[in-house]
Formats: sequence, C-alpha cells, structure tokens
Amino acid sequence: MSIGNNGYGGEVELRGLQKRFGEVVAVDSIDLDVVPGEFFSLLGPSGCGKTTTLRLIAGFERPSAGEILLDGTSLGSVPPDRRNVNTVFQSYALFPHLDVLANVEFGMRYQKTKKPERKRRAEEALELVDLTALASRRPHQLSGGQQQRVALARALVLRPSVLLLDEPLGALDAKIRRQLRIELKALQEEIGITFIFVTHDQEEALSMSDRLAVMNGGRVDQVGTPRQVYESPETLFVADFLGVANVLEVEVEAAALADACSIRVGDFALRARGGDLGVRGAASVVVRPERLALRPHDAVAGENCLPGMVDRTVFVGSNLHVMVRLAAGGVLQASIPNDGSNLDLHEQGRPVLVHVPPDALRVLAPSAPVDSSRS
Amino acid sequence: MSQDSPLWRWLAAPGVLWLVLFVVVPGYAVLAVAMGEIDTLLQPVPAWNPFEWNVGFVKEAFSSVVPGGVYWSATRNTLLYVAATVALCFAIGYPVAYYIACKAGRTKGLLLALIFLPFWVSYLMRMLAWIGLLSADGYVNEALGWVGLGGNDWLNGNPFSVIAALTYGYIPYFILPVYAGLDRIDLRLLEAARDLGASRPWTFLRVTLPLSWPSVLAGIVLIVLPMFGDYYTNDLISGSPNTNMLGNTVNLLVQGGSQKNLGAAMVLVLMTVLAVGMLYYLYETNRQSRRRA
Amino acid sequence: MSTPTDPTTPAAPPPAAPRPAVRPSRIPNWMANPWGRPRWLSAVTWIYILWALVPVLAAILFSFNDGRSRSVWQGFSTRWWWGDESLSVLHNATYSDALLHSLELAALNMAIATPLGFLLAIGLDRWRGRGSRPANFLMLVPLTTPELAMAVSLLLVFTQLSVLPFSAVHLGTTAQVIGQVTFSVSYVVVIVRSRLAAIGPEYEEAARDLGASAVQATRDVLVPLLLPAFLASTLIVFALSIDDFVVTQYMAAGGDTTTVPMLLYANARGATTTPALNAVATIMVVVTLMGVLGAYLVLRYFGHRTEGREVQGKEAMQDLTV
Repeated sequence: MSIGNNGYGGEVELRGLQKRFGEVVAVDSIDLDVVPGEFFSLLGPSGCGKTTTLRLIAGFERPSAGEILLDGTSLGSVPPDRRNVNTVFQSYALFPHLDVLANVEFGMRYQKTKKPERKRRAEEALELVDLTALASRRPHQLSGGQQQRVALARALVLRPSVLLLDEPLGALDAKIRRQLRIELKALQEEIGITFIFVTHDQEEALSMSDRLAVMNGGRVDQVGTPRQVYESPETLFVADFLGVANVLEVEVEAAALADACSIRVGDFALRARGGDLGVRGAASVVVRPERLALRPHDAVAGENCLPGMVDRTVFVGSNLHVMVRLAAGGVLQASIPNDGSNLDLHEQGRPVLVHVPPDALRVLAPSAPVDSSRS
Repeated sequence: MSQDSPLWRWLAAPGVLWLVLFVVVPGYAVLAVAMGEIDTLLQPVPAWNPFEWNVGFVKEAFSSVVPGGVYWSATRNTLLYVAATVALCFAIGYPVAYYIACKAGRTKGLLLALIFLPFWVSYLMRMLAWIGLLSADGYVNEALGWVGLGGNDWLNGNPFSVIAALTYGYIPYFILPVYAGLDRIDLRLLEAARDLGASRPWTFLRVTLPLSWPSVLAGIVLIVLPMFGDYYTNDLISGSPNTNMLGNTVNLLVQGGSQKNLGAAMVLVLMTVLAVGMLYYLYETNRQSRRRA
Repeated sequence: MSTPTDPTTPAAPPPAAPRPAVRPSRIPNWMANPWGRPRWLSAVTWIYILWALVPVLAAILFSFNDGRSRSVWQGFSTRWWWGDESLSVLHNATYSDALLHSLELAALNMAIATPLGFLLAIGLDRWRGRGSRPANFLMLVPLTTPELAMAVSLLLVFTQLSVLPFSAVHLGTTAQVIGQVTFSVSYVVVIVRSRLAAIGPEYEEAARDLGASAVQATRDVLVPLLLPAFLASTLIVFALSIDDFVVTQYMAAGGDTTTVPMLLYANARGATTTPALNAVATIMVVVTLMGVLGAYLVLRYFGHRTEGREVQGKEAMQDLTV
C-alpha cells in the first residue's frame, strides 16, 4: 500500500531533552523511549510541556539541551522539512487556497514525486480515510471531523516513520470524538507506523494508547501501559490525574509478611499490598473508588474495614458515587454499580463499613511531588 | 518557528534601504540645513559635520514661535484651531461612532460604508466643495439669508471658517479609530453592568467611556499630528495671513526661497513639539499589532 | 471530589423583608429602557453623514453647471466636461495633462511601493534579530510624521545634498515618485502585516512539516494566502497617490509635473476658475473610490481567513482603515 512506511514504524528516543523559553523551563530533562510501531501518548494538563515536546520532535523548536534520536540518528538541528516525521496539527492547518486533493498532494512535490504518481497516491490516501467523494472541496466546506481526516491523509501519504498528533480530537464534538478514537486506533494498527499522540483527555489516552507518559510541569511522572498507569500510579499527581483518586494521609509500619505493610488510619490498622512497600512513617495512600465496597455497619467487621457515615450519594446513571465520611477522619468516594442492590446502604446519613481490599491500597512515597499547579 | 532564518532580513532589506535613503538621510538633511549657514545669495549652506553646527537658526526659530516672537500668532492660531477642532471632532464624532458601534443594528453596515466614504474623498476636493458653498453668493449665505443672517464673508481671513474646515476635513480620521475601539467593547460587559443595577448614564460613564478612552486618545493624536503640518486648509479657506498656522509658516519659509535655513529650523521645532504625540502613537500601534498577532 | 456540607452550621439569622421584584426608579421607563431606539443619536449620525457627503455631491453637481459659477446653480450642462471648446476638461490641456500626470504617478507608485512594501512586511514580521526593532520604528515614521515635514526633508535632500543618488534626482516626476513611494510603503506594510497576523504561523509550519524549506513554504503557502492583501494594497496605494498633495507639490518642477490636487490648490480660489475644475476633481474622486471599492471587493471575496470561512465585509473594511 502507498501509505505507511511498509509497516515499519520509527523508534524515537529522547535523552535528557530540555527546552527553555527565557526563564521558563517548558521541558525539563525528559528521557523517553518510543517503541517502533506503537501508539504512544503524552498525557498531561495544559502547560505540562507535552506540546512543546512534540514540537521538538517535529523540529519546530530547537532543544536547549539533550537530544532526539530517530532510529538511532540524532535529529539535532535538522529542520522540520528534512525529518521523516509528520504532524497532524490541532487546528489541522489545511491550506485554504487549495482543495482537498491538492492539500494531500502538497508534500509530495518536495519529495520530487512525479505528477501522475502524486495524484494516485493522494487518491489512495483519501480512500483510506474515506473522503474520496470530497476531493475537490475546499477546507472551509468540510466539517471538523472531515478536516481532521484530510490532515491525516496529507501527513500519511508522505510515508513517515513517525506520525505526531497534537490534540487532533480537541476541537470535535464528543460523539465524533469517540468514533474517531476507534478509527484512528484502527488506522494505526493497519498502517503499522509509530504514532505519538498528545492529549489532555485521559479517557482518550487510556483507550487508544499502547503505552503512555503522564507529564507534569515539564517532567515525565510515569510511563507505562494504560492499565499500569491507572492501577499502579507512582505519584500522587498521576493517581489524581487519571480518574478519581481517594487519597489518605497515613502512618506506615512494617507488617508481619514482607509482601505487605501496615497502614494506620486514625485508630484503625489496614493491610496494604500495593505501591512502595518499603516506605515507613508519614505517607499517602491511594485507592480507586471502584475497588471500594460498602457493607452494613453491623456486619461482621472483617479485615480492612473502616467505619463511616454516608455523606452524600451522587447518581450518574450507570454508577452511584457514594461519599463516606470516615470515623477516623477524611472522606472516601466509592463507586458502586447501579444494579439495584443494597439501596438502603446509600442513603444519606446511613452508617456503613467501607471495605478496602489490600491489593487496591497503594502506598506512595512521600517525596512524590503533587505539583500540578507548576504549569 | 523560532528559527532565525536570514531569509527575513533579506526580504526586508530593499524596503529598509529605501526608508533609510529617503527618510533618515532627508531627516539628517533638515538637521544639517537648520544648523547650517546662509550664503550671500541667500541660499542655505548645510552643515553636514555635526562639529560645524550653528544653532543660530534654531534659536531664532524657537524664539519666533513663543509669545512675543514674529510667528507667535501662527503658534497661537495653531493651538487655538487645533483645540477647537479636537473639541468639535469629539463632540460630533464620538456620538456618531457610539451610535454606529453600539446602537445601529441592521443599518450598521450601511452606516459604516457611508462613514468610510469621506475618508477616501480627496481632502482638497472637500475643501473645494466648501469654497463653492461659502463664497459670497454661495448657498450657505443664501440659507442664512432666510433667517436674516446672510451676506457674510466666510472665505477671507475668517478663523471660524478655518476651524469648521479643519473639523470637516479631519473628523473622519477621528471617527474611525473611535468606532473601532467602541466596537471592540464586549456588549456583555455593558449588559453585566445593567444587570448589576447601573442605569444607562452610569453604564456609559463608568464602563463605556473608560473602555473607549484609549481609542479616543488615538483618534486625537491621529488628527492633531497632521494638523501641525497643515497649510493648505488655511490657504484655501482663508487666504489671509491673519489665520496662518505653523504649517503656513514653514511653507512660506521653505518654498518662499530665501529662508530655507529658518524653515528647516522651524521643522525641527515642530517635530520636537510633536515628538511626544508621535512616540505615543508609535507605542500604541506597536502594542496593537502585537496584540492582534 | 465535592466537599460535603457540614450539617452542624450555626443557625442563620432570620431573613430581612424580601426585596421587591421591580426596583422603583425616578426615571420613566421609556428613558431607562435599554432596548429602546436612541432617537437623537440616530439623528445626529444621519445629520453628520449628510453634512459629510452633501457638500461633495454639490461640488460634483456644480461641474455640470450651465454657467461659469461654482457656487450658484444655473442649469444643467456638460460644457465643462467636453462641451466647451477651450475650457472643458477634454480640451483644456492643463487640466487633462494634470489628470494624465496624476495617473502616471499613481501607476509608478503602485509598481514600486507595493512590491517593496510587501517584501518589507513579510521580512519585518518574521525578523527577530537586532535590527528589527529600529527597522520597525523606521517603517512607522512616515505614518506619524506630518507630511509637510517629510516634504521639506525630501526637498532639502534633493536640492542640497550633492552626493549620489540624491544628486542624480532633480525635482520633477522622479522626485515625486520617490516621495510618494516613501509614504506609500508604510501603508502597504500595515495592510499586509495585519493579514499576516490573521493568517498566523500555522500554515507555513504545516508546509515545513510536509517537506517545504523555509523559502518554499513562503513561496508556496504564504504568498498565495497574502495575494488578496497584495492586490488590495496595490489599489490603496493607487488611491493614496491620486489624492496626495503636499509631497507631490514640493517635489514638483513646473507645469508638466502638475497633478490634479495641485491644480485644485492653485485654482480653487481663483476668480476666473470654471466648473471644469469641479469636473476634473470629480474624475479624481471617482477614480479613487473605484480603487478603494476594488480593494474592498478583493479582500472580501478572495480573502481566505484562517478559519477557512470567507472574509466578512466588516473585517475587510477594518483592514482598509489604515
């Protein structure tokens, strides 16, 4: 097929990459390894440096320090037109004075491709993104989703080994976004090149990526598969950014067995088996709402149960978010499926027991920075 | 892109060269002639070397435009006319700009086009029009005659005519920036003020006017600067040296033939006086264009 | 996560008497109504428009006057346009020569100032080096200086400076063109830069990303996008040139370098001046307005805004209010 690099995706390595704008450090010594052919996301809030990182890889900014390697070759100060990397911009940047076909053909003339072949490849690319019927339209006559596809085709037709996408779904309606997520992922799998995808939407990153990096204040807080990052967050920021995180400040002590440690919450002791088990003293623990279970307050108090009272229940359709104020202090949010059971447990003011499974309780080292405000 | 490609320098080079040749060098020529000497044929001898500068003419120019000087009347006239014109432009122009920007609704496009029009009709044509109307047998006198006030001499040394002509000529240059500034005000701010209990006059005084003030200042600077170089309005509408403005003074000295040094010195005086206004305008335009970028 | 409300807050003080639904006011409703039509503002505006335009229309009308008067209507006639054997615009060499010279200067001005200003605009917009600030400042000087000051400076430099290239230029057409180009360039820069700012850096970045070098990106993407601004500024330069007076007069050198504005200045108060002057002035006005209308239409219908939609009329007009 004319698209994709014959199924070969590029490997991108970032070594100590740093970018400063005057006093502001936008990217603070990042090390990353993107495996060839993977769908890799850079996730983080606005200002965390993810777009700057992307622009550094594309060549629109020059690094203040560190290097970028593409398939082992240092990109250094190679200008963007000579890197085998293409970008889909957030606003698509389709050339308004050209029609769709001419837009897609655009880059090929600098590769000295002959006219008939340009046309053929462009038409194939349009077919791949399902836009053949719109080839002679102008960009302003297209919808957002259609423009995005043209931008994709325009970049992919040049057979880059890496495709960079800068929040390409940001400007679209929720429904189209969900549909395009699936399409994009399928496209990437079909073509086989490396995608580096920048977004602030954690649902997007989790649903599409093979692996992702969570960025915060110019640094990478954690890299991993979606499941790893969600279920085993290594810092408070990552825990809080992806989904809802229940955070408790506790005292950590050693436990009888080496595969766990003992957590003191007020007067209560819990066993924790997740996170950094070597920590001692004051620390934070994180547990996801969907791992918590509610039991009647007069049930037999098994291991890892905390008493409390239901403060408020929020109905969101498929789930119930129950906020429980603990006797030991603090509030935990539990996410209970709306399956019609135990309705009386969710009433406001009802005393309950919250069961926290040991595996779901993750200990975070106290030095882990929380700083999402340092954008 | 943060690359500092030399390409841009080369693109700008011809234009910059042109401006250096025909703005900077002539500027220096004015300096040299103003600081120069005059020869026996009453032609200027410019002093290109700063060490040979002679400040005599500049001193003479300065002293002639201050109270007691030969050209003090020109200064006085200019200050008076400019002040009166600015006041009139504001009194007439602000309400017009306000109406079009904030209240016009459906007719806004049409009104904008009509306001736009005089901007592009030659200044001299507009003066020509008034000469026709203001002449002794013209229609202004005829109309005034119906109420018994006819038979006036408008076109000979009448300062009111000059002020009226200046207002007529420059008011489009005032209205447009003021309109632009008023148009930019988010109507929701005004709605918020009304919602919080402010009455109409209050909203205008406390919200609209302050927000539009920078563009009013810009409009004022935009009309004041050229007025200091205006000689043709006076020549056309008044034809009498009684109503001479500073522009007339410069024009007479330079084109008159034998006082180019003094004329050049006068230009220096003028530019010094205007420097503050010019720098303010330059600063504002720079700020505006960077904000729009 | 939402903070739950504390159920043990102290009891709130008993509420005061409720406020009335509608606050009474001393001003009658029709005055305080924000949606009412502002009658007197509207009247002032329309009176202003009449005041601004009617005199010009009257002057145009007088060019069709049957008699010699430029202030009293004596009936309709085309004698001053082409009828009168010696004094009509068609037959009066002074007048028609002035018209032709005006057009000649305008054409030369367009040919030089527009490309010069166009390149200068792009260069100034992107240039980040040390010289860019003074260059920017320099470009703005002709826009803020009173034209008289510029005219005097050019006069002096062409008559007093015996160094090339200034010594090669004598007062006359060349000097007039140079003078007009000098201030026109700044207007072109302002117009083009305003469009540059609206276009933004994105399209060129996309072009670079797709393989175009800096030069190619400028040539293949930026220039086509700027084409409407280029055309519009050409027409604006034309209009500015036709109407220009001070610099043109100072740079002139006698009879055959007279332009229409100079003609108006010299003859407007003349006792023997005929309405042919009005006629030639009318031609000037019509030509100028056609130029401006053309610029407006170009910007409106051929502009490609960054969002992809067509340029709105109002935006086109604002681009032209330099």
